[in-house]
Amino acid sequence: MTMIETEIETQPAAASPTSQALITPSVKAPQVMTAPVPAGRSEAKAAAPIAVSVSGLNLHYGKTQALHGIHLEIPEKQVTAFIGPSGCGKSTLLRCINRLNDLIDVCHIEGSIKIHGREIYAPGTDVISLRKRIGMVFQKPNPFPKSIYENVIYPLRIDGIHKRAILDETVERSLHRAGLWDEVKDRLHGSANALSGGQQQRLCIARAIAAEPEVLLMDEPCSALDPIATNKIEQLMETLRKHVTIVIVTHNMHQAARVADITAFFYLGRLVEVGATEKIFSTPTNKQTEDYVTGRFG
Amino acid sequence: MTLAIEPITPLPELHRGRSLHNVWARFVNRVAVLLCWTSALVTIGALFLIFGYIVYKGVWALTGLEFTTHFPWFDFTHFHLNATFFTSLPRPGDAVGGMRNCIAGTLVLIAMASVIGIPVGMLCGIYLAEYSKDNLFSHSVRLVVDVLAGVPSIIVGVLAYSLVVRPMGNNSAWAGAVALGFIMCPIIARTTEEMLKLVPKALREASIGLGASKFQTLFRVVIPAAASGIITGVMLSVARVAGETAPLLFTVLGSDQPIFSMNSHFPFFHADLNNAFPSLTAQIYKYATSAEPEWLKEAWGGMLVLIMIVLIMNIMVRVVTAKKMAGRH
Repeated sequence: MTMIETEIETQPAAASPTSQALITPSVKAPQVMTAPVPAGRSEAKAAAPIAVSVSGLNLHYGKTQALHGIHLEIPEKQVTAFIGPSGCGKSTLLRCINRLNDLIDVCHIEGSIKIHGREIYAPGTDVISLRKRIGMVFQKPNPFPKSIYENVIYPLRIDGIHKRAILDETVERSLHRAGLWDEVKDRLHGSANALSGGQQQRLCIARAIAAEPEVLLMDEPCSALDPIATNKIEQLMETLRKHVTIVIVTHNMHQAARVADITAFFYLGRLVEVGATEKIFSTPTNKQTEDYVTGRFG
Repeated sequence: MTLAIEPITPLPELHRGRSLHNVWARFVNRVAVLLCWTSALVTIGALFLIFGYIVYKGVWALTGLEFTTHFPWFDFTHFHLNATFFTSLPRPGDAVGGMRNCIAGTLVLIAMASVIGIPVGMLCGIYLAEYSKDNLFSHSVRLVVDVLAGVPSIIVGVLAYSLVVRPMGNNSAWAGAVALGFIMCPIIARTTEEMLKLVPKALREASIGLGASKFQTLFRVVIPAAASGIITGVMLSVARVAGETAPLLFTVLGSDQPIFSMNSHFPFFHADLNNAFPSLTAQIYKYATSAEPEWLKEAWGGMLVLIMIVLIMNIMVRVVTAKKMAGRH
């Protein structure tokens, strides 16, 4: 409980009315369950096509099994949040979606993940072009030690695009979408490392969306940021969800409640419950989910 | 209710410990600090003794300026501010000569050795850091590289002698370049490996996650991020081979012949790489072991020039490293 209260107190004064409305009722644990969720969210998702479909996914790191039989469908152009205590496998699942776990030798995967109906673990899958269709934002901002400009156009550079006009246009569009343009437009060729943590993370988002991916994976994108920067990233997700399917892993339940349409709760490598965010936070069907979202454990 | 405030009693026995143990601990501490200081002074002192003596004797050789025991401690009588040492060729006997071909020869040998050592060393380091699996071959490579880094340079000289000089039938610049390049390889390989391993995993994941191949990630992100560290290693290895003598005595031997023309006659560079080649260190060895006073004097001049070349390279390493540090913040 103390954790939750601290988080609320540190919310910036500039927080959007929506996020304020969401937070206020959750000060006392029992009220979380009846927390109102802004209208409009729930209607949109009814018949959304499926962007990512995970079925029967088991993942082993060496002899330890990290994911047990995950079945999950992630709808297109909505925000899906993975919540759960540390080590429950939510980041691992996220990294399966762009096959980043391939980098780990001891990692062994069974089951199926389909993106827009196409199996990504099928033999002969072009992993490089798969990753180009899926953007990823990491826990800690990880800009390359290059200029802001070079960071944003990196996905184009590796595709061998050299046309100045295309590169300039991509930089401006991506930085606009990431809400960073006005802050950096005068120093595009300055070092990305000179930016603040929050700006670096928005730069990483700009870089991730520069090649117009279909899915944007965010692995605890705000955990290294202060509340003001967190708020900016959340507002950004609100605009990005119009263009791209977002999957976000978060430790912060309030964040999930603020930004997500769908919330999936993981515990010990299993998907415990998934559903509309307001349902997960108000009337979860599972006892473990209820305990977690009300802050009784985790 | 009144609050009774008890007077604070001082703790005379505790606030300055006088127990035997404390006295002993303080003593050990002082001795340890003293030993550290002494060792640091001995190290720096040795360096300054060498450096100071070479400057003292070398300046005399280069300019004729003599240091004296009385004020103002130097004597301008024979001072000649010209560059004879840098413009003249070695002369026999007591004629005043110079080492212009030897200085140039050393620089040429360093360049040739770099052409061999830098690519091979860097690619070996890239293999060790990026492509080696956890198997016997990669462990053997790493062990062999470590052993090679510690092989005495005279053995490398003998190796280059039997591999290049014997088959060619005479001493040559090529043989010297092979020997020096061989000394550079393990140093560069290990520095490259260590520097590449220091590049954060987050940067690699960012690049891979954006759809870059392993090769693109390596050449566009990882190597540029490690560049300043790799350059430091390369320059340290260059500074190391600049002062190598033993392998050069077996291979290039040394020569009094000019390798470039002082006037603008074409060709400017006319060294014969297939024959004995001038080298600063080989010339210093030859002159310093002779009985000719003029040669002994010039040997000191050669040492000063050599130590300056190495010093300038070390300063350049510092500058590169400082820039890297500045880039981090």
